[in-house]
Amino acid sequence: MRRPRFEARRALRLLAVALMLISVGSATSQLSSPAGAAAKGKIVLAWHAGFASRWLDPQEHDGTATPDNFLTALHDALVKNQGTQLYDHPGLAERFTIAADAKSATFTLRKGIKFHNGEPVTPQDVKFSYENYRGAKADVFKKKTERVEIVDDRTIRFVFKEPFLDFATLFGTANVAAPGWVVPEKYYKQVGADGFKQKPIGAGPYKLLHLEPGVKIEMEAFDGYYRPVNVKQLVMVSVPEPATRVAMLERGEADIIYFVPGELINKVGKLPGVTLAPVLSGSFFLEFPGFQDPKNPFHDKRVREAVSLAIDRRAINQAETAGMGKPTGNWINPDVQYAIEWPEFERNVDKARQLLREAGYPNGFNVDWVTPLPSFYSRGERVIAQLREIGIRGRLQTMERGIFLQRLQGGLKDWPGVQIILHGARIGGSWSFWYEGHFKCGGFNSRDRICVRDLDGKFDQYERSINPAERKKLAEEIQRGILENYYLVPVFRHAFVNAIGPRVVAQKWQDVFPTITTGYAYPWEDLKVKE
Amino acid sequence: MRQFIIRRILYSIVTLLILSATIFLIVRLTGDPVALMAEASARPEDLDRIRHQWGLDRSWPVQYVTFMQNAFRGELGKSFNYRLPVSELYFQRLPNSLTLGLAATLISLLIGVPAGIISAVKVNTAWDNVAKGVALLGLSIPGFWLGLVLILVFSVWLRWLPTSGAGDWRHVIMPALALGWYFAASMLRLTRSSMLEVLGSEYIKLARLKGLPDVVVIALHAFKNALIPVFTLAGVNMVVMVNAAVIIEVIFAWPGIGRLLYEGIFQRDFPLVQGVVIMAGFMIVGINLVVDILYAFIDPRIRLTR
Repeated sequence: MRRPRFEARRALRLLAVALMLISVGSATSQLSSPAGAAAKGKIVLAWHAGFASRWLDPQEHDGTATPDNFLTALHDALVKNQGTQLYDHPGLAERFTIAADAKSATFTLRKGIKFHNGEPVTPQDVKFSYENYRGAKADVFKKKTERVEIVDDRTIRFVFKEPFLDFATLFGTANVAAPGWVVPEKYYKQVGADGFKQKPIGAGPYKLLHLEPGVKIEMEAFDGYYRPVNVKQLVMVSVPEPATRVAMLERGEADIIYFVPGELINKVGKLPGVTLAPVLSGSFFLEFPGFQDPKNPFHDKRVREAVSLAIDRRAINQAETAGMGKPTGNWINPDVQYAIEWPEFERNVDKARQLLREAGYPNGFNVDWVTPLPSFYSRGERVIAQLREIGIRGRLQTMERGIFLQRLQGGLKDWPGVQIILHGARIGGSWSFWYEGHFKCGGFNSRDRICVRDLDGKFDQYERSINPAERKKLAEEIQRGILENYYLVPVFRHAFVNAIGPRVVAQKWQDVFPTITTGYAYPWEDLKVKE
Repeated sequence: MRQFIIRRILYSIVTLLILSATIFLIVRLTGDPVALMAEASARPEDLDRIRHQWGLDRSWPVQYVTFMQNAFRGELGKSFNYRLPVSELYFQRLPNSLTLGLAATLISLLIGVPAGIISAVKVNTAWDNVAKGVALLGLSIPGFWLGLVLILVFSVWLRWLPTSGAGDWRHVIMPALALGWYFAASMLRLTRSSMLEVLGSEYIKLARLKGLPDVVVIALHAFKNALIPVFTLAGVNMVVMVNAAVIIEVIFAWPGIGRLLYEGIFQRDFPLVQGVVIMAGFMIVGINLVVDILYAFIDPRIRLTR
């Protein structure tokens, strides 16, 4: 009789110890894994192009808007563009300060942050990532940085050779550059740059489960992330054909699809439970290559103004994006530093004809080519049709994207005669990146097609200045100079139309696409799916 | 015979060398890939750095010799876009393309051969007209349109099949049908003309004069001989389907070699395009070589006349 009683007591004790261990274990796991506890369900995103492996490595950021769709899932930065914050949303850094003289920036890391392999994120990883960074704008950071100091186990300081006023903007905008995106030094060195692209390890909300190069990326919520991650599995599938993406959404195979083209917008908008997400994206604007030449009809400001007056921006917006874009005044997106607001340009065909008459073109004139950014050819056709109303007769020239870019970089010799280019661009960060790329004499895309010396002179002054007030004033002056003289003619701000399926929890589309500087659905950790 | 085989192998090597030089030149004529690899605000020195990194700053002859030296070692270079060896990417996608190619070949044979036989046997009847109509539709309906219609009907309306991607057998049906349909039409036409030719030959007439039933004449005597060119074509078609089903693979997001090629062309990924084309050429040349040698074994006149 005694033996069973002893065993019962022992069993009770064991049970109590086990319960204590379980509760301690569970508490510990909750402390260390805020993300994993709640994550459930799966979201499938149908991506509109192929995947390039380099997009998975922030160290080789190509300076375009595309990689941030992937970086924001797998990796994390000290500070980043998120929600309405353009570049200073705290990521791995819980706070940062820029010195008053703009000659240093100090970041303090969050406590207990980890990479997907369990290793802690240290200031040494931050230092390595910054110093090893070789992507877009790497030379700017290298040229301006004197040294990177590890202050203590959570603090790191970047010391510059001279005041570096654009540092925070460049450092924190994921669609411009990525020296602030942290990779694990030890692992990166161990697998090499190419190995890292195949099996990236980051500190982002999702860790890589499986990668089929160019086809599919499967990710799982990272338990050690410092914010709760709601959805357990995130799958990104490359589906280049828009009609197939729409069919996937209709059939519930995809929860979010990117880029619904104009002809499918109405159909998708009528699907039950589906929400369209028309994210305002790049700006489209007209350029007149070689207008400095007095023989070029566009040399006369009145002709350029006539073009602007002839363009029916609302009609183009309606036809191309079902009215979901926005006819805008400035050719620079308003979501970048120092961009100015400008009223929508008026349409007045009579006034346009009058201006042409005054400029000596009562019967209009011929334009050799109107070349739209590939593959937005129909937008070029609409511009041609509208200009024909005032007697400017043009022909459409279509180019493959690579050829178009190459011709842009070839400069004026590749655009002989009388030409119009319909550009489209989305550049994050600062207004100055737009100017450098598309307007400055010698700029990457503008080359020698546009050379307005007085504005370039002001831009040099802007770059040299370390006085924020003066820089802002100069930035505004330069932008006004471009718009008042019609050196570039803004057309409209294009809508990158996405669609959200019924399983995704959203009251409005901005719940899924809250980040104003991107057309993508990050922060990924905030997405939720219905039970 | 040995001389014949050696001659054919030499021809094949020359063909592959010409193909390699042609594709090497063509991809370079499309322009500078660095324009697509650099950021919008890159400067000339950034472009030079990328060019140097990928060996694109060297002269074309030097690049070609390097490419060929690597190819002889079985290395087709590293993809600009994926940063992986092209051969690795190719063989990752090959099983999917083989699956699709085999299924589409099977469909094309199952539709094309019986319809071609019926059409030839019942020549100038309603059966023949229907078969000719099917052939006409098969050749004239674009694959991308048929693919989209299949998705709409079987995935969206009926919800029987998944829209896209690779997975189980259900994923193969629609892309294989859309791809095989076109080739079924060409099979049908070839089977019909081949059967008509055989049915008009002397030995068939003799078989009929001997009083053999039609079924026996068609199945045992005509069918076997008429199918030789059909199966030869089926082999070549399959190689094309495996390596160049670009549109169908894009429509159905099928992760095959055709889509790899498509992405390579769009991204100006020179090593990738070169590698895929060389591998496809290697397959086609290889199959032709085997067929030529088999023909020479079967028919001694071939090895004497060539």
